[in-house]
Amino acid sequence: MIPTGEATIGPFFPPRYVDAGANDLTQVEGRKAQGEAIEIHGCVRQEDGAALDNLVVEIWQADAKGIYRHPADPRQGEADANFLGWGRAATDQAGNYRFRSVRPGAPAGRARHVNFMVMFSGLMRILKTTMFFDGEKANDADPVLVAVPAARRALLVARQEAPGKYRFDLKLRGEHETPFFDD
Amino acid sequence: MPTVIAPRDERTQPMRIVPGYPQTPWRNPKEPLVRRPPTLSELTGPLEVSRRVKLLGGDIAGHRDQQAIGQLMHLKVRVVDEDGAPVGGTVVEIWQCNAAGRYIHPNDDDHAPVDANFYGAARLTTDESGSFDLRTVKPGAYPVPTRDGWWRPPHIHFSLFGKLWLQRLVTQMYFPGEPLNAQDRILNAVPDAAARERLVARMVPPAADPFNALVFEHQIVLRGRRATPAQP
Repeated sequence: MIPTGEATIGPFFPPRYVDAGANDLTQVEGRKAQGEAIEIHGCVRQEDGAALDNLVVEIWQADAKGIYRHPADPRQGEADANFLGWGRAATDQAGNYRFRSVRPGAPAGRARHVNFMVMFSGLMRILKTTMFFDGEKANDADPVLVAVPAARRALLVARQEAPGKYRFDLKLRGEHETPFFDD
Repeated sequence: MPTVIAPRDERTQPMRIVPGYPQTPWRNPKEPLVRRPPTLSELTGPLEVSRRVKLLGGDIAGHRDQQAIGQLMHLKVRVVDEDGAPVGGTVVEIWQCNAAGRYIHPNDDDHAPVDANFYGAARLTTDESGSFDLRTVKPGAYPVPTRDGWWRPPHIHFSLFGKLWLQRLVTQMYFPGEPLNAQDRILNAVPDAAARERLVARMVPPAADPFNALVFEHQIVLRGRRATPAQP
């Protein structure tokens, strides 16, 4: 069977779908996830530099030990019961999004990273990208990062602003355009 | 058995930059998208979204003296993968405007009236057969503020998670026989006519039960098929 055609999320995604706390991955039902708490934030802009308001960002990542809470991961049995790995945020009027999470461990064969997804009015398809962490030796051999042309790889590496605080800006088109993936 | 996500036929998916949709040239990447090797990271995904966000159920039409104004309808949807296997237990988010074409959203400054009994957002999980039912009123059409005669036909929005990060889908469903379908810039951004037809629900002939609602059926196909076992 042929996969259904995508469509834009449009301008009217219900505000109540960005639930309070959906951008906080550091706990589940009040129980704290293992690992070092981090903050990831950034600004999302379009080609003319305008900040994009009401854009939906979702992330998916491994837990502090590098395990995915999913049956396809052979280490699933050791996954942190208090870490779901998924979160959702919406940008504010200044184009800023924010997540609280834990620093992911490096999964087998990968550098530590966070998967990103962007949905917005005028985006006919979901845009997918991946955030990497500054100063990680494993970045040089990560199969996803090295698939990106060398000159653009730095755009996928979040800048550490303070201990545990990372900035990852997204430019959907134009100068310093974020590399997005076609899967 | 592991799931394989193969590239899609481009003709079955929307163009990224759509003539007459003025936001699209500003927001869609100019650089070629990067092909990456699939790893465990993209071939896993959130299975417990409903522990992070609140389920709202699938009945959004209201009842008795709080029933929304409009044509009451039941929509029966089945979610499957490319093998036709049901995708059960996955969260689906649904949103739509009211029968007059108005959304409950700060971005909607249209003059169509708000219905106090209709918010237009359902969030639920599919059952083991990949199915869910929505009880709602049929959404109206509305003009897009491009002010050049583009009206959106009646449609319902869906957001689905599936089981893998690469199965995530945001789509829209249309209604059969609507004259506005033929000129809608979002529906017609999909080049392949058969792929567009699959975005249109099927009307089930009216029957005695339910006597007071139109019934539509729709199918949503998420990406992914089972890996073929290696030949010995």
